[in-house]
Amino acid sequence: MATLVLDNGAYSAKIGFSQEKVRVIPNCQFRSKTSRLKTFTANQLDEIKDPSGLFYILPFQKGYLVNWDVQRKVWDHLFGKEMFKVDFTDTSVIITEPYFNFSSIQESMNEILFEEYQFQSVLRTNAGSLSAHHFFSSRPSELCCLLVDGGFSFTHIIPYCRSKKMKEGIRRVNVGGKLLTNHLKEIISYRQLHVMDETHVINQVKEDVCYVSQQFFKDMEISQMKGEENTVVRDYVLPDFSSIKKGFCKPREEMVFSGKYKTGEQILRLANERFAVPEMLFHPSDIGIQEMGIPEAIVHSIQSLPEEMHAHFFQNIVLTGGNILFPGFRERLEAELRALAPAHLPVSVLLPDNPICYPWEGGKLLADSPDYEEIVVTREDFEENGHFICEEKFDI
Amino acid sequence: MVLEKKSSARVEADSRRRVLDEATRQRRLSRQLEALEKDNFQDDPLSSLPPPGPTARLPTFSETEEPEKKKRKTRGDHFKQRFRKNFTTLLEEENLSDRAEPNYLSAEALPSSLPPRLFCCVCGFPSHYTCTTCGGRYCSSKCLLTHRETRCLKWTL
Ligand SMILES: Nc1ncnc2c1ncn2[C@@H]1O[C@H](COP(=O)(O)OP(=O)(O)OP(=O)(O)O)[C@@H](O)[C@H]1O
Ligand SMILES: [Mg+2]
Ligand SMILES: [Zn+2]
Ligand SMILES: [Zn+2]
Repeated sequence: MATLVLDNGAYSAKIGFSQEKVRVIPNCQFRSKTSRLKTFTANQLDEIKDPSGLFYILPFQKGYLVNWDVQRKVWDHLFGKEMFKVDFTDTSVIITEPYFNFSSIQESMNEILFEEYQFQSVLRTNAGSLSAHHFFSSRPSELCCLLVDGGFSFTHIIPYCRSKKMKEGIRRVNVGGKLLTNHLKEIISYRQLHVMDETHVINQVKEDVCYVSQQFFKDMEISQMKGEENTVVRDYVLPDFSSIKKGFCKPREEMVFSGKYKTGEQILRLANERFAVPEMLFHPSDIGIQEMGIPEAIVHSIQSLPEEMHAHFFQNIVLTGGNILFPGFRERLEAELRALAPAHLPVSVLLPDNPICYPWEGGKLLADSPDYEEIVVTREDFEENGHFICEEKFDI
Repeated sequence: MVLEKKSSARVEADSRRRVLDEATRQRRLSRQLEALEKDNFQDDPLSSLPPPGPTARLPTFSETEEPEKKKRKTRGDHFKQRFRKNFTTLLEEENLSDRAEPNYLSAEALPSSLPPRLFCCVCGFPSHYTCTTCGGRYCSSKCLLTHRETRCLKWTL
């Protein structure tokens, strides 16, 4: 029997059989201005030649699965003949859900996975639990780890003591990649060019030019300077989807500091936007979200846990998800935690090679572990015992 | 300092302006934050097609299901209702506020204990001044002017 591992994020599905490689695929549908009648599903995005004004149809709202029609379209596509060709009756699935997933959504998951798709067995879990499994597999001598899961909808801090999720220590900061992209869109639209309809393009701008500052107010000063002295400012060439397929930063030596470019490209000039946008992760109150930033929330989380574990948590902070990929994120977080943590405790923040697929890799390891059969619920089990057996076995 | 000198004239001008009360300012902030949760700002290209001619028919919502692969009939149809609820409804139905164990609501990070940092709502640089009309922040008379001409009272509430 094969095991399919699916880290079902609100932005991307990380999917693959446990014996194969992972693929990262948009977990949504799209419509484009150029072919209005067609709805594109998941990686059919690649078929859209001109994705300007791309319209998103998302299955998730605030991180929770609410739009099942869309989710099933995406899953039909992923499981179907064009992609993974899943033989459901001979396949087990490991699938992730958000922390504290609502009970009605959990029940819908059971019904859809067992009754509609007819998977042979199912393991429903959180991305964090898969990451923890990954971490403890590679470092068997460690007792605890604290995961930072920064995704599309929000950022979670989840402490694990071995395989046990410490629920009382989970913290959620309502800042994720979606908010950052929308905020960047908003400030660019107000300051220089109307891009409110260009989520897809501006999301790429964000990933290409934003970074986490190590000296926020110093960078503010630098980014205010004129001419060459301003080492922060970048000119971003927007794609036109004919001759420029993908946006990019002008190389420093080609930048024109005063006056216009002779080339006809459309340019965005980004200065404080580059680091003020990811700064929301550290200071959500900068835009009026009255919550702690990630460093403060981590300390708050650890303080809520038994004192003898504190040292272990501060030493094993692991970054996962796409939204922690901004250059400088790890260094800044470690520096701030160093300042906030008790002086005698060492602090160490780890950035895995591939933070987006770190949970998926954990799922892969779990699928091949000897006691996998014991932690799943089989279709037979479900038919006999219903939701009850899933509540018993799964820790969501 | 220059700004301070001018301030008496400005106060006079301000007193003739409408001043937004605290409740309105809060509403404006939550509307801004809600906007940051939006999936799209433009209309759905499908719904913004030019009006169809007399014979043209647009596919309706239910017709976007592909008819050729008929889904196995399951309990699915009975609980269709549940598949139509939005986040707010689902959250309310969970009745979390009177739960003792950790849950979605209790997990939200508390307000920060750090002092708030203030930035110019026009240019994004650190700001030292507050617009007396709407409570927005600005850093210079140039940005104040832009603010008044663009967003200050013009943002529909
Ligand atoms: N190199 C990068 N720099 C900055 N942000 C990035 C980068 N790569 C991806 N992201 C952002 O990470 C987010 C997606 O991360 P991820 O795939 O972990 O989310 P998800 O698991 O789908 O969402 P969630 O966990 O909230 O359900 C997107 O907002 C994307 O823009
Ligand atoms: Mg995720
Ligand atoms: Zn300003
Ligand atoms: Zn104002």
